Amino acid sequence: MSLLSAEGLVKDFGGLRAIDGLSVSIDEGELVGVMGPNGAGKSTFFNCVSGVIPPDEGSVTLDGTDVTGDPPESLAHRGLVRTFQDTRELETMTVRDNVRLAAPDQPGERTLPALLRSDSMTREEEAVRRRAEELIETFELDHLADEYSSNLSGGQRKLLELARTLMLDPDVLMLDEPFAGVNPTLTREIADRILDLNAEGMTVVIIEHELETLTELVDRLVVLQQGRLLVEGEPEAVLEDERVIEAYLGGDAE
Amino acid sequence: MSALDRLPSGRGDRALIAGVACLLVGGLFALTPLQAQLPSALYVFVEVGITFVIYGMLVLGLDLQYGHTGLVNFGHVVFFAVGAYATAMLAAQDSFAGTALGYPWPLALLVGVVAAALLGLVVSATSIRLRDDFLAIVTLATAEIFHSVFVNFEGVFGGNVGILGVPRPIAGVVGDADTRMIATILVIGGITLITLAAVTRLTEAPYGRVLRAIRADELVTRSVGKSTIVYKTQAFVYGAALAGLAGGLFALYNGAVAPGFFTIQVTVTIWIGMLLGGAANHRAVLAGLAIIMGLRLVSRFGLSVTPVSGDVFAAFRLVVVGLILIAVIRFRPAGIWGDPQELGVDQ
Repeated sequence: MSLLSAEGLVKDFGGLRAIDGLSVSIDEGELVGVMGPNGAGKSTFFNCVSGVIPPDEGSVTLDGTDVTGDPPESLAHRGLVRTFQDTRELETMTVRDNVRLAAPDQPGERTLPALLRSDSMTREEEAVRRRAEELIETFELDHLADEYSSNLSGGQRKLLELARTLMLDPDVLMLDEPFAGVNPTLTREIADRILDLNAEGMTVVIIEHELETLTELVDRLVVLQQGRLLVEGEPEAVLEDERVIEAYLGGDAE
Repeated sequence: MSALDRLPSGRGDRALIAGVACLLVGGLFALTPLQAQLPSALYVFVEVGITFVIYGMLVLGLDLQYGHTGLVNFGHVVFFAVGAYATAMLAAQDSFAGTALGYPWPLALLVGVVAAALLGLVVSATSIRLRDDFLAIVTLATAEIFHSVFVNFEGVFGGNVGILGVPRPIAGVVGDADTRMIATILVIGGITLITLAAVTRLTEAPYGRVLRAIRADELVTRSVGKSTIVYKTQAFVYGAALAGLAGGLFALYNGAVAPGFFTIQVTVTIWIGMLLGGAANHRAVLAGLAIIMGLRLVSRFGLSVTPVSGDVFAAFRLVVVGLILIAVIRFRPAGIWGDPQELGVDQ
């Protein structure tokens, strides 16, 4: 049974139909890549699924529950978390606070325990600190832990965003261009982390332009064009598909 | 957990201890025959000091809204006014005009705080989902609407005269003027310090981390599972409630409220104090407020040493204070003690 599925999604922006009857289904534990030329509707698909914008038509189902139009915070509680194409760091916060923030259901995030400095808050916050330090260390950001995230390089920001996301321990991780603007070494590193997470059972969906890395990484590729599903299947087969070649090389230049 | 871990620590708890100490000493002056002598030269300083500690609650509330959460509230004075009017109308024994219901003052004060919080809730329910600048416009408009209502509905709010005959609990028990001033500044100052302790605890906890995250990027904060609307509403309502508390205390200290006490000038002073000291830093915003109020106070004394008329001097004074503020913002855009990186201000 699919863990995440989108049925007949439609989204218009003014006169432009960004996605047009798109249906995609993702099984538990899968590692799926979403590709397509610019304007194919990849990010809009992500936005509709992750609750950033509600679709005009169609439905989104997560683990058997209809979550169409649910806001991102409620989807995060259900285990679906995403990153953004243009890394959105909380630039006015330190690396440490960026990661700690994402810890779910903190007693200290409610007024009374915070005011009374309750034992449960102190205890939970200690656990959050430990978990955050572990993640920061895993992503080799420990020397930057006290830096404001605005001081980080593009690649470091991608790592931080990933670390912050993992603080939520999601079931479904949606990554919007995790390798964009990242040097090859770091790309390899991020790819390895994604593989590790997937091996541990996390379902991962990736939008990426960096085709070489993407095809090496994923089990299945979904190709979009003009808001519709063009082709889907195993990476090798998809890349040899004439329609894909046409879309990338023969269609409008990017 | 050992006893040592439970001992108060950190800035918030020092403020709490200082606040309780102030309340106790103030209470001692108010409730015992103990008397204080105040040199007449210092009288004006204590008077401005009382206004400062009342405005202190306003700036702490505004900083919770703007400094920590990024909510732009240009009508902060309205919550101050609503708290003051609600307290005054409920507690007043006999007003020249307007409502005087004669309830006990503690109840009236409580209602004042609740009324301001409720207004905060209404404003946030209508506007907090909108963009920052819309909230700014809505709050500014709300303040203007209420100001007009207070002036024009004479039967209820007493028009330009306002509500008179509000009981003054401290003046009621302390006959001597000097002792009364000292007791008042200690009691209200104590409450302001306790407020400081409360907002410090709130913002140092994970709660404050969520507020700062909302200020930085609301969508990211939602994407990691935080219901930002709830937090924004809470921050706004808490700020409004603090302003209501300040208003209620002002009414009970001053013995009267009138529209003239609640002009946009109050909002402007609070904003300047916050930006001057450095938003998102509780002690800095209080210090900034002290600086702007202090500058205005000290510059008054300049009249006796300058060979110009009072009018010219008053205009000149505004220019000088304005230039000092421009200089500070030019060279310290995040405020004197503000952290430019935390506030995202380019140096």
